[in-house]
Amino acid sequence: MSSVTPLLEIKGIVAGYGSVEVLHEVSVEVREGEIVTLIGGNGAGKSTTLMCASGIVPLRSGEIHFAGERIAYAGGGIRADLLVPRGLVQVPEGRRIFPRMTVLENLMMGAYTRNDPAGVQKDLAHVYELFDILKKRSSQLGGTLSGGEQQMLAIGRAILSKPRLLMMDEPSMGIAPLLVARIFEAVKELNRAGLTILLVEQNARAALRLAHRGYVLETGRITLSDDAQKLLVDPRVLASYLGE
Amino acid sequence: MAERRFSFFTPGQYAVLALLAATPFIDLAFPSIQLSGPMRTVVVYAILALGLNVVVGWTGLLNLGIAAFMAIGAYAFGILTAEIYPFQVGFWWALLLSGAIGAFAGWLLGAPTLRLRGDYLAIVTLGFGEIVQDGLKNLQTITKGTEGINPLPKPTIPFGAHIDAALSKVGVGSAATTDSAGTTATTALSATESVAGALPRWFDISSETPARWFYLYLILLAVVICLCRNLEFSRLGRQWFAVREDELAARCMAIEPDKAKLKAFAAGAALAAVAGALFASHLASTGEPANYDFQVSILALCIVIVGGIGSITGVVLGAIVMVGLSNVVLPALTQAMQRAGIGSTENVLSSPDNYKYLIFGLALVLMMRFRPDGIVHTRKAVKK
Repeated sequence: MSSVTPLLEIKGIVAGYGSVEVLHEVSVEVREGEIVTLIGGNGAGKSTTLMCASGIVPLRSGEIHFAGERIAYAGGGIRADLLVPRGLVQVPEGRRIFPRMTVLENLMMGAYTRNDPAGVQKDLAHVYELFDILKKRSSQLGGTLSGGEQQMLAIGRAILSKPRLLMMDEPSMGIAPLLVARIFEAVKELNRAGLTILLVEQNARAALRLAHRGYVLETGRITLSDDAQKLLVDPRVLASYLGE
Repeated sequence: MAERRFSFFTPGQYAVLALLAATPFIDLAFPSIQLSGPMRTVVVYAILALGLNVVVGWTGLLNLGIAAFMAIGAYAFGILTAEIYPFQVGFWWALLLSGAIGAFAGWLLGAPTLRLRGDYLAIVTLGFGEIVQDGLKNLQTITKGTEGINPLPKPTIPFGAHIDAALSKVGVGSAATTDSAGTTATTALSATESVAGALPRWFDISSETPARWFYLYLILLAVVICLCRNLEFSRLGRQWFAVREDELAARCMAIEPDKAKLKAFAAGAALAAVAGALFASHLASTGEPANYDFQVSILALCIVIVGGIGSITGVVLGAIVMVGLSNVVLPALTQAMQRAGIGSTENVLSSPDNYKYLIFGLALVLMMRFRPDGIVHTRKAVKK
């Protein structure tokens, strides 16, 4: 374990919806500069973990710390809308772009909380460089883009929120394999440029190839955690998630 | 976020305002028609529908009780101005206060109910509309029950006398010019006198001509349009759009959907209340509570849908088409037919007035079939 405080520290969180408890003492750490992936099957609690970190689903016990600040605890925490300006940004599952806004308007919604026009323009240029298709379609309505392009838009929108930690929920879901490769390449590029990333994926192989470290979440519990390279060849992971 | 600078109107908005501004000229050309009076209701409904558009068009919340806020505005205006009450604050203060009271009422209804989604919220707003109407009917000591509060004052124009004085000084005041000292000004203007002679009397600020009254309402509509337009591209407007498009995504952008919805509800209610106050002033009475029934809410919704949901120009155009038809064209046609001796008052089928709901229904069906986004599309032409 590194001596530096992790950027995001999820400590034994319990959470759920109504009478259903989804997460049973889940702990995850993301250090500055890492790509960490959280893999697991349907209903394992991957998205719920991200929703807890984003302040949208409340905790029943445990704590979440971000950049040395306690952001969530049982029965309380920092409101979701105050976490984005702190740099904790989520790309939600299913892309969730604004269909009746143009690509540019969608991107600008990401910069909604910011007050530095120069910085916003710089980040916008960066997004256009990363995904040139968005520049070409900047005046087109978001709803008219393909699934892959919408995912790029969702990532671009999140980048305009100026994240310190980008949490991505299943960016490969329902997208053509060729575009998945393009998007994962972009994630890698963003990370190389210094962005810390927490990636939730069902596409375990692709996610583990990309990440530095990985956690395996099964029915609300972390069952394995290790370097991504080791998880890729771990017989338990192979059997359960990599289909071999 | 790249903030847009303040701007007055789009070309489309100029066009609909110009269209409305032409009304008194029709009166001038055809003195037998006199549209300026009834056309005030078009302006009132345009403001009401613009209020509803904030809630339904921009924030995506179905509100079926907007007439309740119109009623609240009308009765607030009545209580604040009528001689039987101690306040008598005058037209302008009453107009502002009615808007504020409307906003408060919107907030009051919104706070406990905005957690409801879709149809459930629609049902609550529908119920609220009925409650307000029944409340007004039964709170007789305050609201005079079905009699309505009257008489109410007509609008007054602040500095109206000063404008008149200024007009007569520069020589455009009709009769006053001859006995004023500025004889040189009179001779200089004598060439244009024949054209300008009729106009000042018609625009005369101090007398209560229907044209003057109509223009005052039109100016208020222009102010509301300008307000809506700049609200649309403000941070708050962006919040509303984001909440309408996708609530979860909006939260990921650091927007609080509940607060944004509450603000939309209050803003819509405030505009509806202003419309109600203007309506009461137009009638010189609040009228009976049934003037603000479910039909009114539905008419406002039809205006928004037919005109073009989310589009300011479209909503105003919708009001011109729908209310123009029901309150101006059909009654005028009925009168004309009666004067000409065609049709009788006994036979309901021979009166065009009675066909309005038939025409509305047909219009809605045809719109849904051929132009479901309304007369003016909001998101077809993409802005740079």
